[in-house]
Amino acid sequence: MLNLTPQDWTAVLLTLRIAVVATAVTLPFGIALATLLARKDFWGKALVEAIVYLPLVLPPVVTGYLLLITLGRKAPVGAFLDQHFGIVFSFRWTGAVISCGVMAFPLMVRAIRLSIEAIDRKLEDAAATLGANWFWCFVTVTLPLALPGIIAGAMLAFARALGEFGATITFVSNIPGETQTISAAIYTLTQVPGGDVAALHLVVVAVLISLAALVTSEWLARRATARLHGA
Amino acid sequence: MLTVDIEKSFGEFSLHAAFNVAGGCTALFGPSGAGKTSIISMIAGLTRPDHGRIALDGEALFDSTTRTNVLVSRRHIGLVFQEGRLFPHLSVKHNLDYGRWMNGLTFDSAAFDHVTALLDIGHLLTRRPGRLSGGERQRVAIGRALLMQPRLLLLDEPLASLDAARKSEILPYLERLRDEARVPMIYVSHSPEEVKRIASRVVMLEAGRVVAVNGAELLAGV
Amino acid sequence: MLARLVAAFCLFLPLAATPQPAAAQDTLTVFAAASLRNALDNVNKAFTKVSGAHVTASYAASSALAQQIAQGAPADVYLSANVKWMDYLQKQKLIQIATRVNLLGNSLVLIAPKASKLDHVTIKKGFDIAKLAGKYRIAVADTKAVPAGLYAKAALKSLGAWKAAESKLAQAENVRATLAYVARGETPLGIVYSTDAKVEPKVKVIGVFPDDSHPPIKYPVAAMKDAKSKAVTQYLQFLRTPEAKAIFEHYGFTFLLKPVS
Repeated sequence: MLNLTPQDWTAVLLTLRIAVVATAVTLPFGIALATLLARKDFWGKALVEAIVYLPLVLPPVVTGYLLLITLGRKAPVGAFLDQHFGIVFSFRWTGAVISCGVMAFPLMVRAIRLSIEAIDRKLEDAAATLGANWFWCFVTVTLPLALPGIIAGAMLAFARALGEFGATITFVSNIPGETQTISAAIYTLTQVPGGDVAALHLVVVAVLISLAALVTSEWLARRATARLHGA
Repeated sequence: MLTVDIEKSFGEFSLHAAFNVAGGCTALFGPSGAGKTSIISMIAGLTRPDHGRIALDGEALFDSTTRTNVLVSRRHIGLVFQEGRLFPHLSVKHNLDYGRWMNGLTFDSAAFDHVTALLDIGHLLTRRPGRLSGGERQRVAIGRALLMQPRLLLLDEPLASLDAARKSEILPYLERLRDEARVPMIYVSHSPEEVKRIASRVVMLEAGRVVAVNGAELLAGV
Repeated sequence: MLARLVAAFCLFLPLAATPQPAAAQDTLTVFAAASLRNALDNVNKAFTKVSGAHVTASYAASSALAQQIAQGAPADVYLSANVKWMDYLQKQKLIQIATRVNLLGNSLVLIAPKASKLDHVTIKKGFDIAKLAGKYRIAVADTKAVPAGLYAKAALKSLGAWKAAESKLAQAENVRATLAYVARGETPLGIVYSTDAKVEPKVKVIGVFPDDSHPPIKYPVAAMKDAKSKAVTQYLQFLRTPEAKAIFEHYGFTFLLKPVS
């Protein structure tokens, strides 16, 4: 039914792998930053917020270009990483993880921050009177209560990473097997006369994956909320 | 023995209170807005006074002259809130165990059974707070504060959010608590009936000032 | 507050209402291979001086342009970097066959960033480009469809270097993007046309692919069947004048036709 070439399957699996890794890597930072923004006021907070939310507002290609001129092989940070640690992002799936992660990060932070802000601080006060320091309070009260929001944030980030195109193709271009995600593969196929049929097959796969992600996310969030309230 | 001598201003309202609390049950009595909850909050460490000193059994919990301010989590002072504030994601049993976990205390089944019997919550252990009635929730909240083995128990208008029937249902538990739990209690309330039943000493508060300290006879005319 | 926002927004509305420039000034639309960018820009400027007609050029991979034209893009003239995509459009009956002619030629070169330690490489049978690239990648245009990539693949295949190089390629969307990879130092090697290397100061040519290692590079030009501009015939004629020839040759293209004044 779905006539996919081996290259197409490579693109599908690569896309999933990049999206999963990007979400997993950004999640701890997302939780940390969301908690910081939700709970603390500090000098320069507005600047931090602006930087975090910037990829939401910038054209994706601009974000990709900024990544290229900082993390490209000959760029300041990229050259440093290459020389001292042998870490290269150009043309590699790890670079795609970075561009997808960067684009997905603000969505994740926003969702998690909202859920943490919604937590009744009086519960955290109660935990403190019972002997919980800020760390244990965070782990035993704040995090569990924020779980539905964290799940939502993670799924949102995953979905965004799945579909990321502009920043990724600008930063690490379109290398089959390394950085050619489903979106890039479809794009390449549409650039070639006669590639429409193959492109359509990939489109179907992309839609199915997105639907599956959505359904899973809904189910997970609902279960978490139900468990929270003692169902 | 708790000694309190604190000052704090909240915009136009200023609070200046000094009193001592020995064992037994002391009431902090006064109309709404007198500053009772603020004082409790400062004793627990959730709010910080502007000046003054709070000391428990000789140890300074707060002292503005030496810049001492012990963290809330280290004061070992139990606090029963007006709305209970049970953790919704934990069962009743886990709520009760919470203070013990956080303080690294070993499980004392005798104490546990004693408290659950005292407050008649033994049959509620597997339930979630969402499934408890208002009265049950308050009893669990009291049990939770007790089971962390506090040096001092603060109760901030624990019956205020309950209807008359629930109130009269819980008052006997509070009386038993006063008689059997060997921990000093401070009971905040604006209800003279409650205070007369429970407290042996009364600290009367008005507009942020302590106006009288004595036995329950203070409330004779109220 | 809301009123002010609405007022500010209304300031932008006239932009949306700007009408398209009227066809009073005739505009000719040319779809041309990416490698033609600099040369054709100058040819077009010269044409405008002579004819008064304005020329808009759209540069991209010839394959992408053919796809766009097949889907109805409004091109008047198409200049491809290989014969394959012109044939494709001809089969789709989208060109005026009588106007089709092979205009330009080019050659394929191996380039490196200006600061590269590599200098002179003899490219002949047995040439091991994979070894030359080491652990890094070789920039080429997409080898499935873009002419520069197709020529590169053919050349590497005939030299016996394709098998080892295939997994080390960084395939770009068009030949100018390939050039950019090398110019930026992202890849130590790249395969582009000699005319591309000429316009990019940050790269240097370190080897030339022999002409017999790949099919001859031919740039056919033709007018589209439903070309709208009235200046099409004049434009196609202009491309064959000595003036145009001089410009193309200045950029390194070989002129395949006898010039017609």
